[in-house]
Amino acid sequence: MSRLWAVVALLCALTGSVWAQALPYERPVDRAPQEKSIGGGYKTPDVQKPLPRKGWLEITDVVLLAAAMGVSVWIVVKRRNRRWLMALSATSVAYFGFYREGCVCPIGSIQNVTVALTDGHYHIPMVVTATFFLPLLVAVFYGRAFCGGVCALGSLQELVLIRPVQVPKKLDRALGWLKYVYLLAAIGFAVLPLAQRDFVICRFDPFVSLFRRSGFAHMLALGAAFLVLGMFVGRPYCRYLCPYGGLLAWFSRLSSRGVSITPNKELDCGLCTDACPYGAIEKMRAVRANCLYCARCYEACPREGPLVQLRGQA
Amino acid sequence: MKGRAAGVVVLVCVAALTADYAVKIAWTAASDVRVAALQEKVRADAGLAAALAAEQKKIADFNQARRTRINWLSLVLIVAAAAFLVEQPKAPRRIPEKPQKAAGVRRGGKPVVTGAAAPEIDLAFVDEVVAREGRGTEAAIPILQAIQAHYRYLPDEALRRVCELTEITPAQIAGTSSFYSRFRRSPVGEHIVRVCHGTACHVAGARQITDELRRELKIAEGEDTDPSRTFTIEEVACLGCCSLAPVVMVDEHTAGNLTPATACDALGEHA
Amino acid sequence: MSKGFSRRQVVAVTGLGLTAGFLVKKAEGQVVWQIDSKSCVNSKLGEVGVKVCDLCVKECVVTQSAVRAVNEFSKCGRCCVCPAYFNVKSAVGKDGLPSEKLCPRDAILRKPIGEVDPNDPANNFYEYVIDEAKCDGCGKCVMACKEPAGLGSIVLRVRHDLCVNCNNCAISQACPKDAITQWPALKAVLGLSETA
Repeated sequence: MSRLWAVVALLCALTGSVWAQALPYERPVDRAPQEKSIGGGYKTPDVQKPLPRKGWLEITDVVLLAAAMGVSVWIVVKRRNRRWLMALSATSVAYFGFYREGCVCPIGSIQNVTVALTDGHYHIPMVVTATFFLPLLVAVFYGRAFCGGVCALGSLQELVLIRPVQVPKKLDRALGWLKYVYLLAAIGFAVLPLAQRDFVICRFDPFVSLFRRSGFAHMLALGAAFLVLGMFVGRPYCRYLCPYGGLLAWFSRLSSRGVSITPNKELDCGLCTDACPYGAIEKMRAVRANCLYCARCYEACPREGPLVQLRGQA
Repeated sequence: MKGRAAGVVVLVCVAALTADYAVKIAWTAASDVRVAALQEKVRADAGLAAALAAEQKKIADFNQARRTRINWLSLVLIVAAAAFLVEQPKAPRRIPEKPQKAAGVRRGGKPVVTGAAAPEIDLAFVDEVVAREGRGTEAAIPILQAIQAHYRYLPDEALRRVCELTEITPAQIAGTSSFYSRFRRSPVGEHIVRVCHGTACHVAGARQITDELRRELKIAEGEDTDPSRTFTIEEVACLGCCSLAPVVMVDEHTAGNLTPATACDALGEHA
Repeated sequence: MSKGFSRRQVVAVTGLGLTAGFLVKKAEGQVVWQIDSKSCVNSKLGEVGVKVCDLCVKECVVTQSAVRAVNEFSKCGRCCVCPAYFNVKSAVGKDGLPSEKLCPRDAILRKPIGEVDPNDPANNFYEYVIDEAKCDGCGKCVMACKEPAGLGSIVLRVRHDLCVNCNNCAISQACPKDAITQWPALKAVLGLSETA
């Protein structure tokens, strides 16, 4: 028995000595000396506390978002001009994309809103709430004005689309369901408890790393692939993957105004149907749910813009 | 040209960025190995600590330099891509294939420029007719009728010949030939296709039938005859078989209950 | 075109408005990411002898990471031989101080407060300031300056001027202790984000 105790004591001593070797250093003080104990007129330096982005700048983003949507509606409904819309798209890509680096965007805000609705402890900023609801509100009256010329992701794809090909109707419709699957998946991952919560939309956003000009190589490659594909297939992300596009499609069904092919002016020539890269013109009428406000149909129309003036002069 | 240059710049930038990434991967792997080895040595010989610090500083500098490089490259890439997109030539605008609704088919009327060259005609018949009908202005209608009966339309050369031989003025010919719808100034096709535009046929879609036939026969806007001069389309009032509406009459053969899809079948073996 | 709204539009707008109103009621002005030093492995008490967690460097989408080590001066012991400044396991040099520095980026500045007695330099206070241009938040100094060796004055903090405020913060996804979470900006800046 006493031998056992001796072994234990020996072990304790050994571990103690090992501990001492591993940590020869001992804390010199037990308490932090303060200005008084240091003396000599010493002043404790301030710990730098950098402030986040100015609040009014965040509000400016929301104001700009609303203004851009207003301009988009005005260009499409009143001016019916594609050039102006291209200018708006380029501006949005520059500001919301490259300058603001793709955050905050309504697509990602789906998740924040979902979490805020399900988790009582989650703090959702007013800016995010506004960013989520504004485009939906506009969609109820004017269709997907956000998609055309405002959304940085959409505008970027719109700008690279130079040789559009028509996607077969059946394939287009089948792929269109993907975005609802993605929406459900995003909501599913967002409502998980905090530890497992994941914002998949933001994680697999193909363009945000392009806007930031840094990021995981595979995401950069994915973004580049979407852009190359987008040179020929109109807005592949918007039409087949964007979960917010799915929401906007639902709400824009209710809208009463938007891209319109005026009945008493039309020629039945079908040029607008050919010009629409998104298959959004059916039976010579723009389908609100699919129309992405690109104004290509106006550009293709022989009765719109410069051609009308030519005919008047002749 | 500018567009192509911008495209080349885009490709060069993408290649440079990819190469830069590859270099970074290789460099990081190599430097990781070096740092690990140094750390091992430092454990034995504390004097090498400075070398380790230098190595780590080198890594930090490399990353910083790479960041700057990438920023510039991507800036050039964005500008070049914008230039490339702006300089893209536009796809040529297609001319509408269908005729305009507003422009109806008018028979006679002012001379139209036909796409195909009018066939050479023998003017001896004009001399013959003028000799038979006389040179006075009162002979205008009989002469025109005879010419129309012979040539099946009023060729410009024949009319010019009439003006040379008689006292009839070009203005009188133009007035007369455009007043009576019976006269036509452009060559008529081998077969006359009469599309009924009576009330019943109109309601049943005669407009669409006409449009479809015109498109099928490639009849240009403002004309009524196809380029090969096989068919001439006429819009006529009731053909008298409203129960078959919409109706098309090709020469003496009548086809009814047509749809735009079956309209061309009515042209039968002539087409 | 009619200026009136269809019934379905009214229903949709009301629905959107009510949801937005519900969210606005519990909304915060601005939200930022911040590290809770009581959860972070590097600063959490009791986590001794574990590997230093450097996920804040590796995961952050900002090149040099938006996370920095911050010395809370009011808690700093101002020791002569600071375990965060020196690698206390390295050989002792001629001046009686450890020969190596701990920081791989040499981001900590050490300067004596007041006059140094040349005969007894250890009996003096030293101020340790972190050079935020060099620091990338690797957490080595944080792990070293912790009870029982240190006083735990150095912690990791998100620098809001560098942070791009990703919706899906990559560090928060990777963090094994879920120490980085979103906080209302005011609380996070004033350091009220620490759990009690």
